[in-house]
Amino acid sequence: MNRKYLALLLLAGCVFVVPRLEAQIRHIEMRVEGMT
Amino acid sequence: MKQHLQRQSGVANVDVSLIDGKVEVTPKEDGRIEPGQLLKATYDSGVSVAELDMTATGKIVKDTSGNLSLQVNPNQSFVISPNELSKGLERLVDSATVITVRGQLYKKPAGKQKKADASAPLRLLILEVKKE
Repeated sequence: MNRKYLALLLLAGCVFVVPRLEAQIRHIEMRVEGMT
Repeated sequence: MKQHLQRQSGVANVDVSLIDGKVEVTPKEDGRIEPGQLLKATYDSGVSVAELDMTATGKIVKDTSGNLSLQVNPNQSFVISPNELSKGLERLVDSATVITVRGQLYKKPAGKQKKADASAPLRLLILEVKKE
């Protein structure tokens, strides 16, 4: 019984934990002049 | 210059290519990076920035003045310069949709040797909408 309950809980967790895009700056690229 | 940039908050790694004059900045996973500060730090190290492009993930919002903006975190957003690509983003205003875009935040004015003003707000010209 307990195992069934735990399996269901795990399944529900997998359904609701969806990978989501996190808002942030991912990359910055600069073109520079006068670099030696 | 590399050390100058690596000292900035939120910076994980800096790659400098002397051959083509490119500087790639990788932000920390959970850090907040300030492109204006990077611009200033680059100028302070004696190098002139011709262009600064950014790839960012965020939500499309409208600021208090009604300008379309990309909000990358609750306290950081970039006003979007209107172009064909930005028109397509209007429908996402205040929706929960998170998008990834590549855009130009700074371009050196043609024919002028004007120093970049880090305090001036940078406007994002969308070049590519990567993920929606």
